[in-house]
Amino acid sequence: MEAFWGTLQNSFERVFIVDDRWTLLARGLGLTLLITLLAALLGLVLGFLIAIVRSTHDKMTGLKPVPRAVLNLFNGIAKLYLTVIRGTPVVVQLMIIYFVVFGAVNISKVLVAVIAFGINSGAYVAEIVRSGIMSIERGQMEAGRSLGFSYAQTMVRVILPQAFKNVLPSLGNEIIVLLKETSVSGYIALEDLAKGGDIIRSVTYMAFMPLIVVALVYLTVVIFLSHLVTRLERRLRASDH
Amino acid sequence: MTIDDRNPQNESMQSENILIRVKDLEKRFGDLTALSEVNIDIHRGEVVVIIGPSGSGKSTFLRALNMLEDPTAGAVYFNGVNLADLSVNINIHRQKMGMVFQHFNLFPHMTILKNMTAAPIALLKKSRAEAEADAMRLLTRVGLAEKAHEYPAMLSGGQKQRVAIVRALAMNPDVMLFDEPTSALDPEMVGEVLEVMRDLAREGMTMVIVTHEMGFAREVGSRIVFMDEGRIVEEAAPEVFFTTPRRERIAQFLRKIL
Ligand SMILES: Nc1ncnc2c1ncn2[C@@H]1O[C@H](COP(=O)(O)OP(=O)(O)OP(=O)(O)O)[C@@H](O)[C@H]1O
Ligand SMILES: [Mg+2]
Repeated sequence: MEAFWGTLQNSFERVFIVDDRWTLLARGLGLTLLITLLAALLGLVLGFLIAIVRSTHDKMTGLKPVPRAVLNLFNGIAKLYLTVIRGTPVVVQLMIIYFVVFGAVNISKVLVAVIAFGINSGAYVAEIVRSGIMSIERGQMEAGRSLGFSYAQTMVRVILPQAFKNVLPSLGNEIIVLLKETSVSGYIALEDLAKGGDIIRSVTYMAFMPLIVVALVYLTVVIFLSHLVTRLERRLRASDH
Repeated sequence: MTIDDRNPQNESMQSENILIRVKDLEKRFGDLTALSEVNIDIHRGEVVVIIGPSGSGKSTFLRALNMLEDPTAGAVYFNGVNLADLSVNINIHRQKMGMVFQHFNLFPHMTILKNMTAAPIALLKKSRAEAEADAMRLLTRVGLAEKAHEYPAMLSGGQKQRVAIVRALAMNPDVMLFDEPTSALDPEMVGEVLEVMRDLAREGMTMVIVTHEMGFAREVGSRIVFMDEGRIVEEAAPEVFFTTPRRERIAQFLRKIL
């Protein structure tokens, strides 16, 4: 027993204390959270725009030929984006954006990761928001339009606030998925949380402890975020009139 | 709006006091013809009641008046402007056409007061204070002033519909369109909504009403329009329409509904 504790203490020191290796995990967590936050914001903006284009295309009638053609074009681009992004692995997208798109440019890797994960998340956010928009009764748009609001004004004032509220829990879950997906950032040599654990593993030749700790840190953050989502859901239901 | 946007018919329409002129209106949904060859003039101050069997095109007609359904052919002149013309800014004209729906369609995320002031503030450029004062006056009129700060979900069906009516009135429209405003209500709430509409009619508001409330139609309507299979098949003053229906189809309908 004593021997066991001795070994454990010994490996804990080698893994975390020597050379201040724990800072790899601390800085890694910071980077993971930073990338997740910024990518989530980008994803939300992209997702809302795409969702609006998609649902407008499906619902709009009585347009003049030119706006109709523009809308068709945007809708085509949106559909292509959704198909490509949701049909390929995020790690491949990340590498393409880093090595191909920005291959010849000197650009911050963090920025590349934010762009890649943001574009990826946007595709999923778009479908979530679109389902939220479609869940709002047709009468809401008609009531807004009958008062004289334009389509865009009705969207912003009437439809989106209700849709957003309905899909907030799903958006929360999407951010949790995003957080876990950023763990492939190491593929472009970013030292995020997962990469930090892997570096410790490779210099200490000890796999168990660094990787388990990395898993526990992810788990803690995810449980915390899930808790926030649940509370949000409960708050929303309570204020549901 | 410049003089050039106006239809030449405008002059004659003004003199005849015609608010809405519907010309050869047609609406198809794919193969189905929901409206065909609909022609009607609606005068200022008139209360036109539209009745007819289910699926006869009453809602489609009403919704084509403010272009919630875009017609496949024909024209709707409102204040002399053809709303079916895609180059017309429909939003401006809809401000002058209040609409009340069967299912109220209040905005559930806004208080009653916000429901009523959002459009006047944003579109008529009223100050918040002015819009709220106007809204409170209207709410008082329909006996709902104390509900101003509640959300729609807290209201009964009859109350919701009364709010929906004054929400439309807050835009100070030239005409009010009603699509079966009492059909979704519990029977005991029908009266309070009809009462508000009766008052409006008495004040001279131009109204187009789709309803199955025949007693109300007879009492308030200046003209009854009977639709069948997408066409207007009969138009008459209520006393004529209900006592001496000229067509068997109408007599049959009235027997069934009365
Ligand atoms: N959006 C639509 N798409 C396809 N068909 C439609 C649509 N709206 C209405 N219709 C059809 O057009 C016809 C007229 O419908 P409309 O709703 O105007 O009838 P209505 O007289 O209002 O009937 P009700 O008394 O049942 O409300 C019906 O056959 C209906 O099925
Ligand atoms: Mg109908």
